[in-house]
Amino acid sequence: MNMAKPKNLIYASTIFERVVHWVLALSCLFLFVTGFGMMFHSLSFISRLFPAIPLISHLYPQRYATMKLLHNIDGIIFAVAFLFALVAWGKDTLFFDEDDKKWFRVLGGYLWEVEEVPEAGKFNAGQKTFFMVLFLFWFVMVGTGIFMWFPIFAPALTRWLYVLHALGTLVLGGFLVIHIYLGTYGNPGTFQVMGHGYVGKGWAKLHRPKWLRDVEAGRRSI
Amino acid sequence: MEEKVMLIDVSKCTACRGCQVACKQWNRLPAEKTQQQGTHQNPPDLTAFTWNLIRFTEISAKDGGFRWLFRKDNCMHCTDPACQRACPVPGCIFKTAEGAVVINRDLCIGCEYCVNVCPFEIPRYDPVTKKAYKCTLCWDRISQGLIPACAKTCAPGAVTFGPKDKMIAQAYARAKALGGDATVYGDKFVKGTHVIYVLPEKVRHYEKLVVNPSVPISVYLWKDVLKPLSVLGIGAALVGTFFHYIIKGPKRPEEGGE
Repeated sequence: MNMAKPKNLIYASTIFERVVHWVLALSCLFLFVTGFGMMFHSLSFISRLFPAIPLISHLYPQRYATMKLLHNIDGIIFAVAFLFALVAWGKDTLFFDEDDKKWFRVLGGYLWEVEEVPEAGKFNAGQKTFFMVLFLFWFVMVGTGIFMWFPIFAPALTRWLYVLHALGTLVLGGFLVIHIYLGTYGNPGTFQVMGHGYVGKGWAKLHRPKWLRDVEAGRRSI
Repeated sequence: MEEKVMLIDVSKCTACRGCQVACKQWNRLPAEKTQQQGTHQNPPDLTAFTWNLIRFTEISAKDGGFRWLFRKDNCMHCTDPACQRACPVPGCIFKTAEGAVVINRDLCIGCEYCVNVCPFEIPRYDPVTKKAYKCTLCWDRISQGLIPACAKTCAPGAVTFGPKDKMIAQAYARAKALGGDATVYGDKFVKGTHVIYVLPEKVRHYEKLVVNPSVPISVYLWKDVLKPLSVLGIGAALVGTFFHYIIKGPKRPEEGGE
């Protein structure tokens, strides 16, 4: 990979990270689409994307059944993909250092003019928070989802799983929109991290200066 | 079509269970293997294919003797049905003009949401057909001007069926005539049920009868708070990022370009 390194560009994301991120992204979007199709009767047109599956159509004879089955299976894909994400990004995200605390005081300079944004490593405090919230809601969504799929608990308990699952939709939905914005229009030069995996030096200096120094000094490869 | 109510006067019930048989017959529900539990109650509980069950309770009376309580248990046909609120498939659980709450089994996907939110624990799931089932108030009969099969067959006249107001008035008159602890059960909660009981004893004495039933608060939180909030939250995030882009603007690297 590094052999074809374009000039002035720095390799910022391995093929493993990018594949994991795309699997998470696509499975997450699919979960939202099918989930909303089940939550809102007014979005019933979504179910029309899912005809009865041949061969098992006797078990899932109508499109809502198919949609729910695919939602559940996709839930497993997302849940497993997140475990790989933990391997890829856990060590860089699941902690806060002194700079991160300062970062929160100015919210990374995203909302008002600040003199100086504290330096970030591979991930800034906002990204770390996003990952931690995702980690927390991984437990919520997987824990509730499995027992909505296979309701083995008493009705009085199972009802509350529906509530928690919907809470997860609210939190993750809001986070997802902000995450996508900050990864694209909000921060030009960022989206290519998910593409070819290279970033410009100026971008790295702005967004992850500590990481850039480490990479340039050979203290870490990526 | 006007609203109708099934009035179950348990003081007249002799526990002959003719209604259980009539229900199975009209709805073509199969007989099930049952178990002797040492009680008159048979089968022990409602199932996906037993929508109507005479529950049997023995209580000691104030005079030192005992009393047998029979209660015909079936769907209450709520005016505000939690099952319908929870059902993800449009039109799968529907209400008829008479007030019957019906599961359309062709649309049911077996998610069991209705099973888990019903305050009366009425709908039952069948893992073989992967669907939920419950009493339909014989909506196929009452829509044609007939009365439900159980009411039709009831010999002592414990189960009657008719216009809502008339049946409620009858219920209160009967409770008054019975005196003592006799009460009317059903017209006061979940915006009124379309099955109403006259109970000679206090509600708590009857097996599985909820003292003050309501749509579970979790269902409101789920469907009336978090569901709209999720759209609002995602919408707010979209609007927020849009204004962020046009007001604060994107964060560009100083050198520009790559």
